[in-house]
Amino acid sequence: MGGQLGNIAFVIWRESVEALLVIGILNAWLVRQQDIARRGQVFLWAGVVAGLLLAVALGTALLLFGDSLEDDAQQAYQTGAMLVAAALIVQMVFWMRKHGRTLKRELETSLQQAADRSNWWGVFVLALIAVAREGSETVVFLYGTLSAASYASASLAGPVMAAAIGFGLALATYYLLQVGSRVLSWRVFFRITEVMLLVLAASLLVNGIDNLVGLGALPPLSGRLWDSSAILPDSGPIGGLVGALTGYRARPYLLQVLVFALYWGIIYWALYWSRPQAKTA
Amino acid sequence: MTGFDRFRCAARAAHLFALFVLGAFILVGPVGTSRADDPVFRIEFNDGKVTPQRLEVPASTRFKLELHNAGKTPAEFESRELRKEKVLGPGVSSFIVIRTLDPGEYDFFDDFHPNAPPAVLIAK
Repeated sequence: MGGQLGNIAFVIWRESVEALLVIGILNAWLVRQQDIARRGQVFLWAGVVAGLLLAVALGTALLLFGDSLEDDAQQAYQTGAMLVAAALIVQMVFWMRKHGRTLKRELETSLQQAADRSNWWGVFVLALIAVAREGSETVVFLYGTLSAASYASASLAGPVMAAAIGFGLALATYYLLQVGSRVLSWRVFFRITEVMLLVLAASLLVNGIDNLVGLGALPPLSGRLWDSSAILPDSGPIGGLVGALTGYRARPYLLQVLVFALYWGIIYWALYWSRPQAKTA
Repeated sequence: MTGFDRFRCAARAAHLFALFVLGAFILVGPVGTSRADDPVFRIEFNDGKVTPQRLEVPASTRFKLELHNAGKTPAEFESRELRKEKVLGPGVSSFIVIRTLDPGEYDFFDDFHPNAPPAVLIAK
C-alpha cells in the first residue's frame, strides 16, 4: 500500500512539473523586470487560470465520454498543443534573452511596448497550454484515485495525503525556481533555466513529431536505428521522466534523430553563432 | 544582420510557426478513422495489471486496440514506440488505431502505475 501511495504522489508531481517549469521560470523572469514588463504577470496568471478551467473541462470530458472520443481527433489536438507550446517556449527564450541584454533602452520606446503586447498573448497561450495539457490527465488521475478509494470503502485519508504530498512537491519545485532566481546571480539563473526550457521544447517537438507519425502525416523514414533501452529505458519511473522532459528515445527512428539534430543545430546557431556579430554591431 | 536582429528573427519565426500549427489544426479539425473491417484486439487494465502481457498482432496491417480499464484506479495506456497515449478513467473503455507496424516487439505500459512491468505487443 505504501508503494501505491508513493505512486500517487509521484504521478501528480510528474504530471505538473512541466507546467511548473514554464510558469516558474517566466514568473521569476517577470518579477525581475521593471514595471512595464511586470504587466506580463497578469497575462501569465490569467493563462494559468484559463488552463486550469480547460483542464477540468477536458478531464471531465475524458471521464464521461472516454468511449466515444475519436482517437485521431484527440491525438491531433494533443499534437497541436505540443507543437505550439514548443514554438512558444523557444520564442520566449529568445525574447527573454534579448530583453535581458537591452532592457532599459528597449523598454522605453513605444514601438517596443507594442511588440511586447503581442508577446504577452504568447505568454498567456503558453501558460494556458502548459497547464491544460497535463492538467486534464491529472484531473482524471485524481478523480479516479479518490473515487477508487471511496468505493473500496477504504480510508480516503491515505490517497488524499499522497495527492497533497504530490502537489506539495510540485509547489516546492516552483518555490525552488523562485528562490533560485533570487539566490543565484541573474546571469547564472538565466543560463540554467534557458537550457531547461530549450530541452523541454525539444521534448515537446519530438513528442509532436511522434504523434504526427502515429497519425500517418509524416513518414518515420526508418525502423529502429539502435536500442539503448538496456542502458537507459524510455519507460518506467526514471526513464519515463527523462524521456518526457528531454525527448530521449531508447529506440529511435530516423525522423526523430533528424528532427532532434536539426532543432539543436538551429538553436546552437541562433544562440552562439550570432554572438560575435552582436558585439561588433 | 546584427545578433539582436537574428534573435528577433528566430523569435518571430517561432511565433509564426506556432500560429501556423494552431491554424492548421483548427482547419483540419477532427478526422475520423476507425473502419469496420479492422481486426480488433483487446487490452485490459486492472489497477496496474495489464492483460495480456504479450499480445500478438499482424505486422504491416491496420488494426484496432480496444482498451478497457476494469480496475478501480485510473490507467494510462502509453507506448513511446507505438506513439500513442490514452488516459482511461476507472471503468472507462476506449480504443486506438494502429496504422502499420514493422515486425518486432513493442513495449507498452500503464503510465499511471509506473512501477508495474511493461507488457509487449508482438507484430508478426
